[in-house]
Amino acid sequence: MSPVVRLLAHRLGMSLIVLVGVSMLIFAIARIIPGDPARIALGPNATPEQVENLRQALHLDQSIVVQYGFFVADLLRGDLGVSLYTNRPVIADIAQFLPATLELVLAAGIMMIGIGLPLGIISARYRGRWPDNLVRLVSLLGVSAPSFVWAVILMLLFAFFLPIFPIAGRISDIYSIEAVTGFLLIDTLIAGNVAAFGDAAWHIVLPAFALAVSGIGQAARLTRANMVETYDKPYIEMARSYGFPDRRIANRFAFRPSLIPALTIIGLDFAAMLGNAFLVEAVFAWPGLSRYGVAVILRKDLNAIVGTVLIISATFLIMNIIVDLLIAFINPRIRHSQRPA
Amino acid sequence: MRSIFTTVAAAALSATALSAVLPTDASAGGVLRLDEVAVGELDPGKASDYADSILMFNVYDTLVLPKQGGPGHVPHLAESWESDGNSYTFTLRTDVKFQSGNTMTADDVVFSLDRMKTLGQGLSYLFGIVESAEAVDANTVKFNLSQPSAAFVASLVRLPIVDKATIMANLGDGDGDMKDWGQAYLSANGAGTGAYKVTSHNPQEETVMEKNADYFLGVADVAPDTVRLRYGLEAATVRTLIAQEEHDISSQWLPPEVIKALAADGAQLLSESGTGAFYVKMNTTKPPMDDVNCRLALSKAFDYEAAIKMIAITDEISQGSPSTGGIPVGMFGANPADAILARDMDAAKQHLADCQHSPDDFTLELSWIAEVPLEERFALLMQANFAELGIKSEIKKLPWALFSEQVSKPENTPHISQLFVNAVTGDPDTLLYGQYHSSAAGTWQSPEYLNDAEVDKHLDAGKTSTSDADREAAYAALNARLMEIAPSIYGYDRNSVFAASNRVRVPALSDPEKAFGLDGMGFSFRLMEMTE
Amino acid sequence: MRRTIAILLQNPLSLLGVTLVTIVVLSAIFADFIVPFPDHKGAVVDFANFNKAPEWPYIFGTDLVGRDMFSRIVYAYRISLILGIVVLAIAVPIGVTVGLVAGYLGGWTEYALMRVTDVFLSVPPLVLAMSIMGVLEPTLLNGMMAVTAMWWPWYTRLVYNITRAEKEEGYVLAAEVIGASKLHVIFREILPNCVPAIITKMTLDLGFVIIIASSLSFLGLGVQPPTPDLGSMVADGAKYLPDSWWLTVFPGLAILAAVFGFNLVGDALREILGADQ
Repeated sequence: MSPVVRLLAHRLGMSLIVLVGVSMLIFAIARIIPGDPARIALGPNATPEQVENLRQALHLDQSIVVQYGFFVADLLRGDLGVSLYTNRPVIADIAQFLPATLELVLAAGIMMIGIGLPLGIISARYRGRWPDNLVRLVSLLGVSAPSFVWAVILMLLFAFFLPIFPIAGRISDIYSIEAVTGFLLIDTLIAGNVAAFGDAAWHIVLPAFALAVSGIGQAARLTRANMVETYDKPYIEMARSYGFPDRRIANRFAFRPSLIPALTIIGLDFAAMLGNAFLVEAVFAWPGLSRYGVAVILRKDLNAIVGTVLIISATFLIMNIIVDLLIAFINPRIRHSQRPA
Repeated sequence: MRSIFTTVAAAALSATALSAVLPTDASAGGVLRLDEVAVGELDPGKASDYADSILMFNVYDTLVLPKQGGPGHVPHLAESWESDGNSYTFTLRTDVKFQSGNTMTADDVVFSLDRMKTLGQGLSYLFGIVESAEAVDANTVKFNLSQPSAAFVASLVRLPIVDKATIMANLGDGDGDMKDWGQAYLSANGAGTGAYKVTSHNPQEETVMEKNADYFLGVADVAPDTVRLRYGLEAATVRTLIAQEEHDISSQWLPPEVIKALAADGAQLLSESGTGAFYVKMNTTKPPMDDVNCRLALSKAFDYEAAIKMIAITDEISQGSPSTGGIPVGMFGANPADAILARDMDAAKQHLADCQHSPDDFTLELSWIAEVPLEERFALLMQANFAELGIKSEIKKLPWALFSEQVSKPENTPHISQLFVNAVTGDPDTLLYGQYHSSAAGTWQSPEYLNDAEVDKHLDAGKTSTSDADREAAYAALNARLMEIAPSIYGYDRNSVFAASNRVRVPALSDPEKAFGLDGMGFSFRLMEMTE
Repeated sequence: MRRTIAILLQNPLSLLGVTLVTIVVLSAIFADFIVPFPDHKGAVVDFANFNKAPEWPYIFGTDLVGRDMFSRIVYAYRISLILGIVVLAIAVPIGVTVGLVAGYLGGWTEYALMRVTDVFLSVPPLVLAMSIMGVLEPTLLNGMMAVTAMWWPWYTRLVYNITRAEKEEGYVLAAEVIGASKLHVIFREILPNCVPAIITKMTLDLGFVIIIASSLSFLGLGVQPPTPDLGSMVADGAKYLPDSWWLTVFPGLAILAAVFGFNLVGDALREILGADQ
């Protein structure tokens, strides 16, 4: 087994254990809810018998261990139960809303790397001079406000006062695009509708940037810190003394090794974005998991809460595994560490 | 109130005059976009709130419709009806087809009533007095009531007729012969005769509907071809979209400041009034609200004038008019429009002194419904008002679903709840019975848990008496009693205001002569006119 | 200590940070004497002056029931700081203890404790706090509990990594050889070496706790009115954009200013304490 495969197997096993733990944790949290979920679900005019019937149907009348057993059995069949809020299977609800959220998070992630890393490199190269100070100031500002504050500020500036970007939604309603993947930027291309693609891309700029601001700041800070550290390493001194140009040193000798620790943290920031997307989606009326998640939490919709948190956590773990693998590919020490066993 | 009507009427007249000059584009129609806060429930048997009602009135039809511009009802799916007190016989039209192509018959009517009563959700309680419905022949249906009711015909506007054959072909999982009564199917699909067909429905995002070309009354060319009803848009979003003409009609739940800003930008204001009021409800089972003097103290301490100021939009148009008592002006039993309620701190202090509970001993829970931001301001107003009496209070934000769960038990019901209640059929019975009759206690409309024999007596008299004079007397006596025992603070008479772009004309919401006097009915899309 | 402060005050950026933090902390403590309308922190209504754009004496404008935004923002700082301090006061001891024990004892204890920690770290922090707040009544106390529940694992991770490195060091081995109890080794020998890292993280975290708490209340899951809270002010004000911009912009900038201050100081501390080691 190659080290990469072994790493993957190890991480998957670990993630599975963690996911079981998460399911227990969330399940426990969701079941100590005060108030009767069956009554909430049936609405104000239901009779006591109807409430009792639903309680039995949902196993709410049994112990929490038994309830968890039913839950796991259902889960293994891919069934997360029915949302008491939308009356639809939770898995269908999530399948509908998750792609919009993922699209937003991925776009923000690309911005985070595409803007944050170069800023960090510039900062490190001009260490102590004005570009460095400027980048450090801006990136620290970036991490100093929650994403909803950036969302509101960006919206005010670039959607209200300078109406450059649309204020809400994923796409203008003149386009109707068949959902294949649920990712509009892909679906529009599948449909071959370039105008719709442009429109969808235009819609995602502000929300994704609002979501990315603190990530950009974080990425820039990390890249800078790691590069500054590598700049001080003896082999860079040696490269300098051999007369390699500064740009070459920055790109080749300092950047590569600095990338690895930075990427690890960036992976974690990706995950934080899944949570912060809730805030940005609320501001931009982005039809993702956020509105659904907040609505089901406010309505004490057990199945939907458990399902949503579980799926978000699974997505988070998968993202982390992907980041780990990327790092393994970049880092020769892991790639070549051991011969096949 | 009158001045509002005059202004709106004048605006409507000028609009009509204008349309006479400009020939309407035959290819008009186009897309109408509007929004509502709540999740849209498409199953007509479960419809209860405003969004549900808009869907129901457009996808489904009812046997009768409220008469435009005045009291009474006119035949719709029915051709005519007659009554002998305990039973009503309706003759149906023979030319009505469902959207599926099936012909509507008496069987469908019976099925619709049975389904509604069995599911027992939404407004099915309106049909509690209907013992049975039978299909006499294909075009005749007879309803047997357990007691005479002046409000029965009015209640039929909440009995949407569903397509039995389509539902039977699409039953989902469930116990018994009828399985789920088509609940799964109807929560995502339409099965009515209505002027609009559902093309897509996502309960949290939007419902898209398109014109039904085969509607039995026909649909005018100028009526919108496609309607997009969006859910849960932020106020700031709606505000900008309307200003940019990318949205057409707002919900009535926009805060007054936002409507005001839109009007200043040139949006038209639509309104619907006369069937409801804003009630601040006190849980009469929980100390100190169990003492009538404490309740009266709060009623007198409430700043009615500030409330009216809070909901004003322009000098002429407001989201409400001053309250005169428990029944809105214009309904049976209402007090005269100039007998408005006012704050009286001396009386409030006197009542509080007479109350058996001392303000030192309690802290009031002031709840507000999370979906209605305006209520937060009322909560703050009350907190400040009551503090002047030395009463402490804490503010609690409750999402609608949680609120309606809490009120099912008196001990969980907050001291104070704020609600907009309206007559769901336009008849005062449906405004008041559900709120104040002791048998209806503990629903979202009745967090008072009022149990007062005299109130019950007047409500029963109002429900069963058939002459207008008797009903007026019964409700006037009820109103007097409601003032005396103060189960609620009667905040203001509600006037729903909608901001709209100038792409659409809505006579039913702008011309009093065309108004239906029934909440939500003004949103019959077939009666709207697109102007571009 | 004195040297640390001297260095802090030399660098212009960390000086800015110290200034911001001082202003925020002092104004939170002495709010009653600073703000023009101290009673506006509660349920006061003044419909003669509602929804006013900034003008004297309402330098940040008034809200929709006529309360002074400036006064409310200053009081909101008080709530945020109390929340931040309480959360760290509970989360840090728990997290540190778990980290020390797991790192030092190793074996099954380590495995079990670290998997539990992983579980908490595997739910995006905001989502975890949200689901807890969704279950509990939204009050200040419960808000603190929810944020605490998601905060301790980060300290566990931090301390665990340090402990694992330190337990092979000579001074630990020496203590073990002379028969010191496990408790002694953990809390007297290893813990002191974690302190600089913990203090630096706490300074930075004070800012992050403010961010998370305001995010919760932004979603309607935090402190309830009339208690002033920066997150709910932004959320409530957002409904009135763009016309009443002051309802969102000032509370938003207030969060930015406070967190920026804590971050600047935290950054500076990290450099100083790191260099000291």
